[in-house]
Amino acid sequence: MSVNPVLDAARPAPQAVAAPRPFRPREWLEREAVFSWLMLTPPMLFLLAFLGYPFCYGVYLSFVNRPVAQPATFVGLANFVNLWNDPIFWQAVWNTIRFTGAATVLKLVGGLGMALVMNQNFRMKGLTRALLLLPFIVPTVLSTVAWQWILDPGMGLFNRLLMFFNLVTQGPSWLGNPTLAMVSVILVNTWRGLPFFGITILAGLQTIPVELLESATIDGAGTWQRFRHVTLPLLMPVIFIVTTFSIIFTFFDFQLVYVLTGGGPANATHLMATYAYAISMGGGQLGLGSAVALAMVPVLGLVLLAMSWYVRKD
Amino acid sequence: MVGELTWSRRIAGLWIPLGALFVFALFPFVWMAATSLKANAELYDPKANPLWIRHPSLEHYIGLLRESNFLLWIGNTMLVAVVSTLISLLLGLMLAYPLARMRFPGAGLLALSVAVAYLVPQTLLFVPMADLINRMSLGDTLSAVMLTYPTLLVPFCAWLLMGYFKTVPRELEEAALIDGASRWRAMTQVILPLCTPGFLSAGIFAFTLAQNEFLYALLFLNTSTIRTVPVGITGELIRGDAFYWGQLMAAALLGSLPVALIYSFFVKYYVAGLTAGSVKG
Amino acid sequence: MGHPTSRREFLKLATTGAAGATVGSGWRPRKASAKPAQITFLRESSYVKEFDDYFKNVLIPRYQQETGIKVNYEIVAAGGSAVPRLVSIVESKAPVDVAWVQLEWLYRDGLLDVSDIAEEVGKKGGGWYPAVKDLSIQDGKWKSVPFGNIGQVMVYRRDWFDAAGFTSFPDTWEEFLEAGTKLKKAGHPFGMSMGHGFADNNSWQLPLLWSMGAQVVDKDGKTIHLDSNETAKAVDYVRKLYKDACLDDCLGWTDPANNKAFLTSQISCTNNATSILISAKRDLPEMGKVTDQALNPKGPKGRFHSLVATTHGIFKHTADPEAAKHFLRWLMDPKQVTGWYRSGFMYYAPFVHAYDHDPEWDKEPRFKPDQKVLETGKLPSWPAPADRRAGEVLSKWVVVDMFAKAATGKSTKDVIAEAVTGLKQIYG
Repeated sequence: MSVNPVLDAARPAPQAVAAPRPFRPREWLEREAVFSWLMLTPPMLFLLAFLGYPFCYGVYLSFVNRPVAQPATFVGLANFVNLWNDPIFWQAVWNTIRFTGAATVLKLVGGLGMALVMNQNFRMKGLTRALLLLPFIVPTVLSTVAWQWILDPGMGLFNRLLMFFNLVTQGPSWLGNPTLAMVSVILVNTWRGLPFFGITILAGLQTIPVELLESATIDGAGTWQRFRHVTLPLLMPVIFIVTTFSIIFTFFDFQLVYVLTGGGPANATHLMATYAYAISMGGGQLGLGSAVALAMVPVLGLVLLAMSWYVRKD
Repeated sequence: MVGELTWSRRIAGLWIPLGALFVFALFPFVWMAATSLKANAELYDPKANPLWIRHPSLEHYIGLLRESNFLLWIGNTMLVAVVSTLISLLLGLMLAYPLARMRFPGAGLLALSVAVAYLVPQTLLFVPMADLINRMSLGDTLSAVMLTYPTLLVPFCAWLLMGYFKTVPRELEEAALIDGASRWRAMTQVILPLCTPGFLSAGIFAFTLAQNEFLYALLFLNTSTIRTVPVGITGELIRGDAFYWGQLMAAALLGSLPVALIYSFFVKYYVAGLTAGSVKG
Repeated sequence: MGHPTSRREFLKLATTGAAGATVGSGWRPRKASAKPAQITFLRESSYVKEFDDYFKNVLIPRYQQETGIKVNYEIVAAGGSAVPRLVSIVESKAPVDVAWVQLEWLYRDGLLDVSDIAEEVGKKGGGWYPAVKDLSIQDGKWKSVPFGNIGQVMVYRRDWFDAAGFTSFPDTWEEFLEAGTKLKKAGHPFGMSMGHGFADNNSWQLPLLWSMGAQVVDKDGKTIHLDSNETAKAVDYVRKLYKDACLDDCLGWTDPANNKAFLTSQISCTNNATSILISAKRDLPEMGKVTDQALNPKGPKGRFHSLVATTHGIFKHTADPEAAKHFLRWLMDPKQVTGWYRSGFMYYAPFVHAYDHDPEWDKEPRFKPDQKVLETGKLPSWPAPADRRAGEVLSKWVVVDMFAKAATGKSTKDVIAEAVTGLKQIYG
């Protein structure tokens, strides 16, 4: 703007576009919608091809009777009716919900605690973080095999410790007792996943502006109040995302139970994922197995819906 | 961190919980290390102490390295994990950025469908996936897993990144645009750098999932020299109902310690990125 | 059999084409020097490593020398990993030619008719043990060629049994329970697998049922016989056995767990393949000296064993059926297969009578029960046909869970009823 108002008046006013302008690619690209959709296209195409197609095929399978190496015959909802009447299926559903719920709560609380502890200043932070991530890093197959031995009734660490401190004369059967077997798989899953919660929430903690916490302290807030009213709300997006993801991942967990118990004893630890596998591979029923797998989706969807509704309330 | 920590608060608030965390997370590894260094006679001895080694022996490590393709498997696993992670972070970012930060028609629906896409278990997918891979003649190649792993990883990376992207205020982007930057520059030079912790988190998770994956690796990696660690180990160190426990535990340690070292390297940058990021207002 | 040169040419053309496609798109090129044609042979990794080594080091080079064809030996983990691989091979027509087909009742339709090979091998070998025919034959045609049985027998600690006063292994199930009760009191319980494994549970539970006169499904493949007094007797027996003679943990045992328990001296007896004895001899010689094997005890209706049959099949979608058949026929010829059987210490007991008295059996007398198993061995589906539904019964652990639930306290009536419900879902 110049100093002389006369000159200003003489200058043509900067104006909004009245007449149509020639198409300029760079400007077109700058439009929010265009930019967004262009960016979205490659990943969408990839997912459609590699996820969409198999998913649709899997859905199709659940509506047919499809023994391995034989052609499919359409049966409508018969597979689902079969499952509805199958007590093992319902046990698997219930087991999966319990397993996921317990493990997620434990991982969330533990991970939050771990993040808060690690958010302090101390030497060798990097090494500590890396070491604490080890349960998450080691291939599941191998750590589960190690846990088989750790949970061994006579040789395993747990029972050896219990016997050493004279708490029991003979250690409990961690994988033979139906209740303890479920406890054990929850424990191993928690052990494996807790560090990831910890590290991710830690990342979130460290993006919280220091000034906010400082001003809260100046205003007289104590540690708990700072946590409850400043830290926690700001952490919610990260917590929400990592928890949601963990719920999904845990819900679909297969390897751990498959290696540790195979779903036993007497289906006490059978999950929907392991049951789907047993039906598809062991029973050769690709249709029915897909129906079990597909049934996981609405159950999981309901769980997530409940969760997000609860979070939205805040 | 806030406030001055006195010495006793430090013990209670830091060292004790940290110690507990260490014990919880690492005791199986101590056991694995002890087991891998015990000769079979001691390994199976019911009277032996699980955590103490009377006669240390390197026989399992030597056996593992000499008689199997373990080093090749590690190499394959690292390669697959790195490539899948990079692909997934890139695709994840391309999905997450518009969905998190931009307003455009169809955004809500798209976000929902990405979320739904994630609710798909591997057990549902693997038969059609095997079919797809075979049609593309990628059976028994590392490309097969490098292409299929992102299907597991992209939705998650996108989701996690969305969370981080959302925490950066829109005002920063708008300020950059007003200053004359293009959307591209605003994204790459202003917003993304602030989200480095997010990328590192997502990258760590993706990398870990990739190197851990079993089912697709089992189906698509058939030759021993092509295999990744999970499949190679279970294929050749578990024979019938006999587990070569000593070698298995040696493999577990050798397979995870290098990765932990890599992580500790990235964590350095992670911290640097954080201190830079937390200066914002 | 065709002229070797022309078949070789044809194979060369067929496979270089495929190899070319993979070299272009693959991250690691297939042996780019893949001039010789290739046959891919898939097998579960053998418990006896020498067996796999013999194949790799002796048979593959020999075949290559004789025919110029390279055999690609793919090993998959045991304990169930082979199954998804096999199913996906059949479904996606992956380029695997010959395989240990393991659960052929799932996909016999995807296997090639190998009647000519099987009949020839049977004739040369003095006849097949009849029980295995039910597995390999579908509608009168052989879909797989039986190879050997993984013998599941009782493995036990002779020293502890002697100390408890049982100088010979219990002959009847009653004596078995007696021995177990005594041994558990002495601190050496039995470890009878009752969890979600595949072999070590069925290998004593099914023979128990059969020897008591109970059956799961009739040989018509339709009528469910499980709900009977004999079954109830078996269930009550197992409940008592678990409580009085067994280690608590065995309720949750998958197949490797009893090996671990035996080798760590926690149990005195279990039902297993020779893997325990071989492991003990090799890694824990002191224990190896006092470990022995015995046949299953007998019941009122006789002595039974459960077969774990290994067979080889050719996939229908193989690129060159003639070449695959040539390979299989060559493999099962005594010139090759005898050495191969022996390299595994007869871990796979041959299904043809010619080897019943093979000198290899005499090398370790404790392996003899594994040969005797063939006389009283039945497929797990027995007497029902070995079809997909029988496989579903096994993979849903209908019978195994029946016993497991009884052991944890459920009433005999309830567990049998639940098992029958499960069977009805499968058999209709």
